[in-house]
Amino acid sequence: MPNESGSVYGLTILSPIIDDPHARISHDLQLRMHLGALPRGEDSPFAKVSSTHMARLTVMNDVVYVGMPACEEHLQSQYLVFESNFDGDLDTYLRRMATEIPDHVDSVWSHCIGYPGAGDVAAFESYMKKCQLTTTFYFADVNDKTVQQTLRALQTQAAVASFIERNQGKPAAELQNAFTKFLGKLRAAPDPRPGSGKDQSI
Amino acid sequence: MSKLNETDIQGFVLRGYNFPLARYMFLHLADDDRAGQFLDRLLPSITTGEHWDDGKPDSTVNIAFTHKGLRRLRLPAASLLSFPVEFLEGMQARSAVLGDTGRNAPERWESIWREERVNAWLGVNAMSEQALESCCADMLRIMEETGGASVVGWQDAAALKVDGQLTTKEHFGFTDGFGNPDYLGFERSTQPGQGKLMPDGSWAPLATGELLLGYADEGGELPVAPIPHLLANNGTFMVYRKLHQNVAAFRRYLEEKGRQYVGGKEKLAAKLVGRWRDGTPVELSPDSPDPAIVMDKKRNVNFTFGNDNAGTRCPIGAHVRRTNPRDAFGFEGRLTNRRRITRRGLPYGPYAPEGAEVRDDEERGVAFMVLNANLARQFEFVQQQWIEYGNDSHLGNEKDPLLGNRDEGGSFLIQGTEDPKNPPFLCGALPGFVELRGGDYFFIPGMTALKMMSTGTVDPR
Repeated sequence: MPNESGSVYGLTILSPIIDDPHARISHDLQLRMHLGALPRGEDSPFAKVSSTHMARLTVMNDVVYVGMPACEEHLQSQYLVFESNFDGDLDTYLRRMATEIPDHVDSVWSHCIGYPGAGDVAAFESYMKKCQLTTTFYFADVNDKTVQQTLRALQTQAAVASFIERNQGKPAAELQNAFTKFLGKLRAAPDPRPGSGKDQSI
Repeated sequence: MSKLNETDIQGFVLRGYNFPLARYMFLHLADDDRAGQFLDRLLPSITTGEHWDDGKPDSTVNIAFTHKGLRRLRLPAASLLSFPVEFLEGMQARSAVLGDTGRNAPERWESIWREERVNAWLGVNAMSEQALESCCADMLRIMEETGGASVVGWQDAAALKVDGQLTTKEHFGFTDGFGNPDYLGFERSTQPGQGKLMPDGSWAPLATGELLLGYADEGGELPVAPIPHLLANNGTFMVYRKLHQNVAAFRRYLEEKGRQYVGGKEKLAAKLVGRWRDGTPVELSPDSPDPAIVMDKKRNVNFTFGNDNAGTRCPIGAHVRRTNPRDAFGFEGRLTNRRRITRRGLPYGPYAPEGAEVRDDEERGVAFMVLNANLARQFEFVQQQWIEYGNDSHLGNEKDPLLGNRDEGGSFLIQGTEDPKNPPFLCGALPGFVELRGGDYFFIPGMTALKMMSTGTVDPR
C-alpha cells in the first residue's frame, strides 16, 4: 500500500513557496536560513513529535536545465519539501504537529502559499493533505519497529554488552543473581529520549 | 588483455621488494626549472619492474609526488585539475572522511605532515646498511647538484630482528604481509586466495585497473585518471601513513584479558587479528597455530568466511576479516572485489622482545603504504567503512579492534559456541592500539610519465 510500510507511514509534502516580488529577502531564502538554523537530535522540534523516525525539510528550487537536446523547463513555483517517516496514522501525526509544535510549524510553513496556520487544526490537516504526494520509498534504517521499540532495543543492546563485560566468567549462581538484578534495573529504566543518538546505558 | 610493459612501471608498484632496510625520504621541490632537472637526473636510478635476471640489486629507488609536488613540477593546469579530487585535496583535508580525528587528528601529526611541506616521497630499499647509505648519498648528491629538491624529513624502517633473525613480523608480534591481491597481467607466482573469488570457488586475478591507471578495472571501465593518458598510464596512487603502535598498551591488554578469556592470551590475540601471531589464519585453524599452513602457499591465504557467518572461528570483527571480508557479505565475494588494496611498508623502531620493558611513547610502529587505482573507492572506503565503522558487518559503530581510532572504551566481541573451550567473550575497554602520526596521498607515475614531467612535455590537449 502506498504511504505505508508495515507500521511505518511515509509522508511526502510539497508546499509551494510564496513568490513576493516586494519582499526584501525572498521567502525561499528566508526559509533556507530558518531551516539551516533548526536544531537537530534531542533539541529538534521533531523529537517532540516523538513518533518521528526521521524528518527532513528542504527547499526545491527548480528543475536543472541540462541543455541540448533537452528543452528548457521550469517548475511553476519553488517548493518546500517535507518528508517524514513515523509510527501510526496520518491524522494523528498531523494533529500532533499542529498541537505539539505549532510555533515551529508556523515559522516554517508561513512562507508557503495558502497556509492557514496551525491554530485551526482542521484547516491545517486539510492543507497538508492537499500538498501530499504518494510515498513509495522509505528511510532504509526504519524497520517494522516503533521509535520507542528501537530506542529501547539500542538501550538494551548497550546495557547487555556492558553487563556481559562486567560479569562474564562468574560462577553460575553469582551470574544468575547479577542478571536478575540487572534485569530489574533494565526494566525500571526510563525510556530513552527521542532524538538521542548516544548510548543511554543504565 | 595485453601483456604489461614492466619496464614502464615503477618496481615498487609491481612487487614488494622484501628488502630488510628502507629509508623513505620526504622532499621539498624547488619552485622552478630545477625541480625538473632533478627529476631528469634521477630517472636512470629509478627501479622499474624489469626482471632481475642477474639477481636482486643492492638497493632500489622509487619516487612519488603529492599534488603540490606536481604543481612545483609545472604540470599544465589542465592536467593538474584533472586528478581525482581526493588526491588534489591530500590526506589532511580528508581527515573527516577517514576518521582521522581526535588522537589521530592532523593537529597531532609530525610537523612535516601538518605543514604539508612534503612534495615528493623518495623510497630507497636496500639489502644492507652500506648499500642504503651509499644509495642515499647518491640521491643527496643529485639533489645538491641540481638544486631541485631538498630533504625535509625521512623515515627509516627495517624488518624486525627477533632473536637475531630477520623476520616479517610487526611490533605486536604478528607475521605480516600476507594476502596482497593478484592482478591480471602480473608475472608473479599466484597464490589461491589472493585475487577474487570465482563462482566455482577458485581464485582469479583482479582486473589490472584496480591497481594501475590505464587499464580496465573490475567494473570494466578505465579508472578515473589525469589527462593526458600518457601521464596516467602505468601509474597508481599511494597512501603513506606513519602508524605508531602502542606496544605496551597492547601487551598489557592481552595479559589482563587473556587471564579472563578461556582460550588465554595467544588465542585472544589471534581472535583480535584473525591470524595467530605466526600467521596461521584463524579461519583455517581456530584452536591453535599451525606452521604447516603458514609454510604452504596454497593454504596460507586460501580461505573464505562464507561458512562461518556466525564468526565462531574467525570473529566477525577481526582485523583481517574487516579489511578483506572476502565472501563474508555474500554474493560470492563480489562486494569485496572493488575494495582491495595493495600494501607495502616496513616497521620502524627497535623490536621489544616479549617480557622486556616497553613504553608507549617510544618510537615504534609501521611505515604503512597503500597502492590503489582509486583512493576514494578503495583505501578511503576500507578505512572509513570497515576500519572506523561496523555497519557492513552488522557491528553497529564498533571499530577495527586493532586499528580503530579510539580513546579507551571500544568493544570487540569474540563469537563463540556452546563448546566450553570456545565460549563467547566480550573484550571491553579497548585502548587505542595504533595512532596516526602523519602522511599524505601520492601519485606514482610510470616511467614515460616521469620523463614527460622532467622535460616539461606533459601536454593535456
